[in-house]
Amino acid sequence: MHTCDLDVSINRLSKIEGHADLDIKIKNGQVEKVDLRVMENQRFYTQSVKGKPALSVPQLVSRICGTCSVAHLTGCIEAVEKTLEIKSSEQTMIMRKLMMYSLMIRDHALHLYFFVAPDIFGVDSALEITDLSEEQIYAKSGVKGISGKEIVHEALHVKEAGNNLSNLIAGRSVHAPYEIVGGFSKEVDVAKIPAMIDELKSIKESIVHLAEIFYNCHWKLKRKTNFVALATPDFSFLEGVICSSNGACIKEENYWDHLHTVVLPYSQAKGFEFEGKEYMVGSLARLNLNRENLHKSTKTSMKKYLDIFPSENIYHNNLAQAIEIMHSIDHTIEILESFKFKKEEIKKPLKQDGEGVGVIEAPRGTLYYWIGIEKGMVRYANLVIPTAQNLVNMREDVRQAVSGICDSGIEPHKEWELKIKREVEKIIRAYDPCMSCASHFLKVNWI
Amino acid sequence: MKKKKVAIFTFTCDEGCSIYLIEIFNKKLMGWLEKMELAYFLSMADKRDDESIFDIVLVEGAITTFRDLKEIKEVRKRSKILIGMGNCAITGMPTCQRNNFNEKQLDEIEKDLKRFDFLPKCQSIKEVVKLDDEIPGCPIDEQKFIEVFEKYL
Repeated sequence: MHTCDLDVSINRLSKIEGHADLDIKIKNGQVEKVDLRVMENQRFYTQSVKGKPALSVPQLVSRICGTCSVAHLTGCIEAVEKTLEIKSSEQTMIMRKLMMYSLMIRDHALHLYFFVAPDIFGVDSALEITDLSEEQIYAKSGVKGISGKEIVHEALHVKEAGNNLSNLIAGRSVHAPYEIVGGFSKEVDVAKIPAMIDELKSIKESIVHLAEIFYNCHWKLKRKTNFVALATPDFSFLEGVICSSNGACIKEENYWDHLHTVVLPYSQAKGFEFEGKEYMVGSLARLNLNRENLHKSTKTSMKKYLDIFPSENIYHNNLAQAIEIMHSIDHTIEILESFKFKKEEIKKPLKQDGEGVGVIEAPRGTLYYWIGIEKGMVRYANLVIPTAQNLVNMREDVRQAVSGICDSGIEPHKEWELKIKREVEKIIRAYDPCMSCASHFLKVNWI
Repeated sequence: MKKKKVAIFTFTCDEGCSIYLIEIFNKKLMGWLEKMELAYFLSMADKRDDESIFDIVLVEGAITTFRDLKEIKEVRKRSKILIGMGNCAITGMPTCQRNNFNEKQLDEIEKDLKRFDFLPKCQSIKEVVKLDDEIPGCPIDEQKFIEVFEKYL
């Protein structure tokens, strides 16, 4: 029996998107309390969109999140188009898929190389990885023949390829200007496609290195939970049916009926439960539920890594992200090599009133937009953000991990406090949380 | 030559400018690191330097809570050159949208404003402290960033 008391506080978790604090209270060797607080100041977008023209709102909500702006833009456009009965052209859908792929490449790479890799290599920042020799990289990750400097160069090239793909399709990677309701306002510069294909092909080897790093990583935290994801037939993150590992199969427009909100004390964000229980959304959920729909080339080149799914180990979320980067590259190359892009008109709305739902898979999981429009103006908007859906699951994982450390017999020393801090930071980073997004949620129940 | 100490601080915003800055880093970071040291950037490192004076400080976001206000004043004191990144820092928008809310919208957010210690009015960084230079855009313009930043590097 351990009778240790210890309070652990982390102020401003680093290497995540946005601002969150964490307090853990251990009493008599038992975890008494885990408070995960989103400290990101609210910017009240769900209120500010009211009364604004529906056609302009997607570009506004893009500003909810600098990291995954393309996801907000695309999800909101889908909700507006469904409401106003705008049927997208085949080319528009393909270009949106390419935008989602460009986002996955950049955003997953940012998370894996800049936020998680430092923990694996035992340094504080990705910049310090450049100091590590081939031997040191091999010792820490089991990846042979590559120096720290080369890994950081690969990181920058992978991110740049994603960035260039965003530029090619919609003008910019953050708050993309050409992606709008009804289509894209600028046609693709086809002269740039061959160079884009070459660039994407050139980073494939780097993604194998990346997957190998996370495949060899021995971190483990397993806890029975429910996984939820939009299962898309071509793994394009855009259209499909919402599936869960407990067997639920839900149409996009009915998702909200299966959720309820959970208040987190002192936090500027709420959490969610799915059918009464905590759950996880994101790459791990997508790989667990929909891996058979990955691109055929990805299935071949990533076979060794795919074989470990389904997995309940939260750290496999990182490996899942690496696999999704490869899928994004493979499917993009196929599209760019075969599709004939042409100039198209922007589709016009057929009506000005109604309500509609748009659900897509953002990098961190299922993103839900519900919009009500009256005379072309937004009457209300309701959002369900991936990170908010993961908050309860994250808190329970932290509780289990800290309980495990307590059971090993802790002492009220600085050393133990540091050990706990390091461990819980690793868990939270594995989710790749985005606190800027999480602070956006519905205030008023207007049903 | 001694490397310049560079710090990046985020106030209330979507962090789009610092995310876009990391994209600008794809091509420029390795060269810049010969002249600078990233002394404070929580998006990339946990290292927290709470005392030094920084040579170049980049700030993004707007000032919406009393805590933001206290922190930006401290950051100003520790900055030789303070550069505002993006429209929130320079104009307050879009973060300061609540300043234009009607009564009904204000009613909806009133409890949160009190509970989390929001300022009566959201302000740009430029309204609160002196900025030595500005890089506008939502997010920042790439060429303008390079031009302004390299001036001080």
